[in-house]
Amino acid sequence: MKNLSIEQTKYTPQIDLDASKGEMNFFGKSYPENTFEFYEPVLSWIDKYFRKHAKEETIISLEIIYFNSSSSKLFFDFFDLLEENNDEHKITINWIYDEENESALEAGEDFQDDFENLTFNLKEK
Amino acid sequence: MDKEERRKEEERRREEERREKGERRKKGDKRDKEQRRKESQRRTKISRRNKEKNTEKNSLINEIEILKRNFEDTTKKLIKDIVRQDKIMLRSDQRQRKDYDELQLKLEEIKLLSKEIEDTQVEVIFTMGAIGESRSKETGFHVKRVAEYSKLFALYYGLPLKEAEMLKQASPMHDIGKVAIPDMILNKPGRFTDEERVIMDTHAQIGYDMLRHSNRILLKTASTVAYEHHEKYNGKGYPQGLKGEEIHIYGRITALADVFDALGSDRVYKKAWEDERIFKLFREERGEHFDPKLIDIFFENLDEFLTIRSTFKDMLD
Repeated sequence: MKNLSIEQTKYTPQIDLDASKGEMNFFGKSYPENTFEFYEPVLSWIDKYFRKHAKEETIISLEIIYFNSSSSKLFFDFFDLLEENNDEHKITINWIYDEENESALEAGEDFQDDFENLTFNLKEK
Repeated sequence: MDKEERRKEEERRREEERREKGERRKKGDKRDKEQRRKESQRRTKISRRNKEKNTEKNSLINEIEILKRNFEDTTKKLIKDIVRQDKIMLRSDQRQRKDYDELQLKLEEIKLLSKEIEDTQVEVIFTMGAIGESRSKETGFHVKRVAEYSKLFALYYGLPLKEAEMLKQASPMHDIGKVAIPDMILNKPGRFTDEERVIMDTHAQIGYDMLRHSNRILLKTASTVAYEHHEKYNGKGYPQGLKGEEIHIYGRITALADVFDALGSDRVYKKAWEDERIFKLFREERGEHFDPKLIDIFFENLDEFLTIRSTFKDMLD
């Protein structure tokens, strides 16, 4: 399965999806002009990955400094997708935040509460 | 015989009746059977129909049950989505409020800092100017007056208020190069020798060299003022011997402001001049030492210049 890499821009995060390593990395800010359009290929890559190419363990790192509400919706969809695959696959999520970025920590805590079935770690940078 | 015959006849009749009866019974049986069969068939039909009806009823229930399940699933999903949407909105609003508050706070801080930087710059420049002046035993009021005159000239000359304000802040630095001039020359009562004059005149170049490396617009302005405030309109000034409007307007303004104030003040080597004597010199030097436009501005607005002079009068006077 081909890896998916999206370069960081002012409004969108750096995204590296690596099927061979079973790693998914998100870094940066997320307030795209069209959030659903931007994340559509990402979500469909992940869906395909879990259907056919998933590694024994998948590690997802998210360091999102800032995100808008439609990105928040997308993250919910993303975590839903992970939760659906959580029984059959070992999935670990690391939510990385900067000590000074209180909003990022709170957002991570909220997601952690919402997705109790997922292994959701909060990690200070 | 008759009796016998009648008895036989009677028996035959009975026999016949019996047979007929039997046949009738047989026939009746047949009919009954037929009827029963038909009845049973009818019943079977009804029961089949009923069964069919039952199965029909069941499949409808099934369908409804599927619909019900679908509806429940969809409703659940909808409710989940709505709850989630509400959560997102709520969080987003909270975050937005917090971020906006923080942003405003930071903006306030930046404004204060920016003001602090500006104030510091002005103060440093003013202090540096005052150092230059104090070394030559002039008072800080000279610096202040030159600053005010410069702003007034700039405004009447047509420079924007912001630029005039900047010139006011930068002009106190015009003599900063004097920090490098030895005291014995700087404070010498009486005329300079040619050698001393050469050394004294280097203060313009020195001031410029001190300030020109800065990228700050205020210090750049100050460097221009320091460099060009001894240039003369007729090209006979120093250090570059620039002529007319080759001399930056900041230089032309500060030259006039500085001389006006210097002539009107006591110095170690001279007493203050009378106003009439100053005005006479200005008229003579119009287009020579000084920019004619600035001389005109001076006379046209003389009251305002004299008000500044009296407002920032030397305490020693």
